[in-house]
Amino acid sequence: MSNALVTLDHIDKQYGDNHALKDVSFDIQQGEFVALVGMSGGGKSTLLRLIAQLEQPSAGTITYSQPNLVTRVMFQDGRLLPWMTTLQNVSFNSHDAKVKARAQATLDAVGLSDFAAQYPAALSGGQKQRLALARALMADPQLLLLDEPLGALDALTRRNMQAFITQICDEKHLTTLLITHDVDEAARMADRVIVVKSGRNVYETKGAKGQDAETVARVAEEVLEVILAPEQAVTARA
Amino acid sequence: MDQTTTSPQTTHKARSFSFSWAGLLPFLLPILLIAIWQVSVSAGWVDSQLLPSPLAVIQDGIALWQTGELPKNISISLYRATTGFVLGGSIGFILGLANGLSMFSRRLLDSSIQMLRNIPHLSLIPLVIILLGIGETAKISLVTIGVMFPIYINTFHGITSVDPNLMEMGHAYGLSKWEQFTKIIFPGALPTILVGVRYALGVMWTTLIVAETISSNSGIGYMATNAQEFMDMATVLLCIVIYALLGKLSDLIAKALESLCLNWQNQGGASRE
Repeated sequence: MSNALVTLDHIDKQYGDNHALKDVSFDIQQGEFVALVGMSGGGKSTLLRLIAQLEQPSAGTITYSQPNLVTRVMFQDGRLLPWMTTLQNVSFNSHDAKVKARAQATLDAVGLSDFAAQYPAALSGGQKQRLALARALMADPQLLLLDEPLGALDALTRRNMQAFITQICDEKHLTTLLITHDVDEAARMADRVIVVKSGRNVYETKGAKGQDAETVARVAEEVLEVILAPEQAVTARA
Repeated sequence: MDQTTTSPQTTHKARSFSFSWAGLLPFLLPILLIAIWQVSVSAGWVDSQLLPSPLAVIQDGIALWQTGELPKNISISLYRATTGFVLGGSIGFILGLANGLSMFSRRLLDSSIQMLRNIPHLSLIPLVIILLGIGETAKISLVTIGVMFPIYINTFHGITSVDPNLMEMGHAYGLSKWEQFTKIIFPGALPTILVGVRYALGVMWTTLIVAETISSNSGIGYMATNAQEFMDMATVLLCIVIYALLGKLSDLIAKALESLCLNWQNQGGASRE
């Protein structure tokens, strides 16, 4: 029985002559961590923006399991407010005591409690992304959308953040959609990996979340082969 | 034992000495110029009738202060400047906000405002005199017009230049229109708005000087014009110095406002994961 939180049904998106998405259909199950992977310009971020309702599809429907689903996006560039402190960024400078306390607790959860009074400019890249994550988690979202959140980080920080995000999402049983061009990241973090190529979802396979390094590498290699293969319209589930 | 090692005490003393010297640097050039000026007049290299010494200017200022003339004229000039700044700043700010936030308002008003902005506001003096006379209304109106445009253009530009990605984030995070304005748009526009304020303060003094010179019977500008007619160069120079000091004071106030509102711009530095 389907327990889909979000269902995309024959989604099309056009920007003038640019046909960014063509007949995309898939769903995201409750509690699932799904990674959309593919080369730049393939349509992954467009899909995320449609699911986040930042844009509307040209055709097709996106159905949510409940109205007013609380969705939060973690952007690649963080989009932190430079004129607010770390704590203020989490709560959008709310003056409500309960909200402030909750913001502090959220900062504690991401390991930034010592930086509460600092401005984002004083934080490292990894810390900024942790702050962005804290802000996203503040609303206790039912759906977390991660738009290449680790793209700007160095390899070591990136690996640490991958583990951190996976841990947080597991603890909260968060339904998560990750957009990435890093096949290794997709394999390592996701329950399911969907390949998006030239605006279509062409392939899907089981992710290697929580598995050993060899399994992660095998899944990553499998996905990479699909991405690099000539144009195909194969949809398969491993 | 190594005799060349620097002790913490020596380093502390060197740092204190460097700090004091750095604090004095901005004053070095003005003090030097005043000293040269004083020496030039005292030594007779410059005719003191044409260019009184700094001491003569100070003495003149003290005398005018004691008669009450100086405080009265400074007060009147400050009143005109402040009133015109508040009025012009308010109008410019409101129009800048309206046109920045509303496409309808922008299409309706911006083109006309830009056209008016390009008219040198000092060229409006004859028109203002004919329409409003030579009283306080005319002078304050001129300052108002002069101040309005820099505040308008900087408010408008600040609002329309706010990072659209931040706006999108606010929308994605469910912020209301009011919250988007107070938490994203206005703080994002504030640096540009404050630059406009600093520039407008300079325009304020320039406009006031001209307005008081052309048609007035009070104020610092009037004092300078009156002194010029009697070849009272000491008072003329005194007025110039007062304008310079008032301009510096208003700039300091603007900088203090920037420090207060924009202290986040000075935060930064590396921190470790």
